[in-house]
Amino acid sequence: MIRLQNIEKVYRTDTVETLAINNISLDIAKGEFLSIMGPSGCGKSTLLNIMGLLDDPSKGNIVIDNQDINRFTDKKLANFRNEKLGFIFQSYHLINDLQVLDNVELPLLYRSLSAKERKELATAALEKVGLSNRLKHFPSQLSGGQRQRVAIARAIVGRPQIILADEPTGNLDSAMGNEIMDILINLNKNEGTTIVMVTHDESMAQKTHRLVRLFDGSQVQ
Amino acid sequence: MFKHLFKLIWNKRKQNFLFLTEILISFLVVFAVFSYITYYYQNYSRPLGFDYNRVWAIAYSGEQLSKNPDTLTTFYANLEKSLKSMPEIKEVSFSHSNFPYSSSFMNRGLKYGKKDFNMINHYVVSNDYNKVWDVKLKYGRWFLPEDLVTKDKAIIINESLRQEMFGKEKGIGKIIGDEKEKLKVIGIANDFKSDGDFAPMNNIMFVQLDTANLKWTSNILIKVNETADATFESKLYKFMTSTTRSAVEIQHVDEMRASRNRTTLIPIFLFVIVAAFLIINVALGLFGVLWYNINKRKGEIGLRRAIGASGASVSLQMVLESLILTTISLLLGCFFAVQFPLLNVFAIPASVYVIAILLAILFIYTLVLACSLYPGKQAAAIHPAIALHED
Repeated sequence: MIRLQNIEKVYRTDTVETLAINNISLDIAKGEFLSIMGPSGCGKSTLLNIMGLLDDPSKGNIVIDNQDINRFTDKKLANFRNEKLGFIFQSYHLINDLQVLDNVELPLLYRSLSAKERKELATAALEKVGLSNRLKHFPSQLSGGQRQRVAIARAIVGRPQIILADEPTGNLDSAMGNEIMDILINLNKNEGTTIVMVTHDESMAQKTHRLVRLFDGSQVQ
Repeated sequence: MFKHLFKLIWNKRKQNFLFLTEILISFLVVFAVFSYITYYYQNYSRPLGFDYNRVWAIAYSGEQLSKNPDTLTTFYANLEKSLKSMPEIKEVSFSHSNFPYSSSFMNRGLKYGKKDFNMINHYVVSNDYNKVWDVKLKYGRWFLPEDLVTKDKAIIINESLRQEMFGKEKGIGKIIGDEKEKLKVIGIANDFKSDGDFAPMNNIMFVQLDTANLKWTSNILIKVNETADATFESKLYKFMTSTTRSAVEIQHVDEMRASRNRTTLIPIFLFVIVAAFLIINVALGLFGVLWYNINKRKGEIGLRRAIGASGASVSLQMVLESLILTTISLLLGCFFAVQFPLLNVFAIPASVYVIAILLAILFIYTLVLACSLYPGKQAAAIHPAIALHED
């Protein structure tokens, strides 16, 4: 589903050159639940951003769903992200000025759907994460766990084949974290969604199919 | 997408208050400026109705002259002959003090049927006044000496007043006024813009200078030819001083016109300069507010890029948000602006306000568009990974 070939990422300033990702190659199968672990600053999020087409690698090749991404224009990349990828972030990234339902509808705004269709899909996604009673709430009126569930609903509303989760339980207590993890496992099991998750939590990583460890930008496991 | 943007704007109404207020105030200022400019442009584009070139105005005091009407009539007849005998002078006319550009006004009302017509500029002039000013008649004729002895006093009015009084009829031969004073319309002059190029057309009436009015005469208007120079002016001055036995002032009407126009233009220029500074400040303010908003919304922009927005659609969203906010402000601004034509404020034609509203709307949209394009472009250039990481 995702193939990374000899990916390198170098951050350059006038005086310093930092190698964030060093020659990583990775094959992630369709329906796989992969976790990425490593100490802070080892390049986990950078690797996830490259997989999510939010950042360009300095070297290497990315193939997602058998499509070579390197030649995509900005518009094509945006459409590709919209249709194939869902994102979950540690700090949720909800828009505080929009209600829960509107936040979940966001990815659908960039598709040719009617308002009614968008509302139906968003409501269904919120039902899946158990938040059908919070449609009209604003993010500030929700707990951390609820906000992350809204973020998951937003990630799945467009039925993407891949979900990229950057420390989705990082801001939550263990009970909440487990709830979120259960939702992701169910998505993976029941809907066959490929999930790549960056985490610091060993116990969460153990629940996934495969664990990749990074250290100083290189894959060590 | 529009519904989504409206929702976002509505939910952020407190944050958008500054923007909305700024646009509203700018619109009202720009509306005022355009009202001014449109009003003066409309006036300027209308024909003068006379020719001021090489017309000189000689002012004198008639106090030393005889009060006897017959003596005075003879005096003025001789004076006219003497002036006309000078080769540099083409035409001579006597007038009260309210000739074009003199900043002196004489108004009165007229009655026709049951209708009253007020604030009509009233000119008391001698027979050659039309030749001095090259006043053209649309219908009828100018005064003849024998008009002084007719039963009903002859009157010439301007075209606009004719239309107001008589509609489609030419009006020649109509009797206007009341029982005390009946006036017979003998001619219809073209409209006459006597108070500067930027002044509105006022309704006017000419009546003939008769012996009863001679004592009020204090101005001689002459049309000179190309040979009239400073030497001639000096000679004329000496002649008038000795003839009228009073202080004399000779003014060139083209200079009076320029001075009168300056009086109108200087406040407009000052107003436009002040408004321009305000608009520059508003533009910088708008730019700053939009820039600040984009920096504050980096996380949201990064998120939108992540979930499927292209750089162009992020840019478009920023510009559209500004234009929607502008539309809200303009709707409110238009509500205030339309009160001016509805309530006939300052008695300015409604068309001036309507044009000013349209121009102000166009100007504000252009301003906002210009101020939001660059921040919008910058928003599109925000790298999603960095924006999401920073937030």
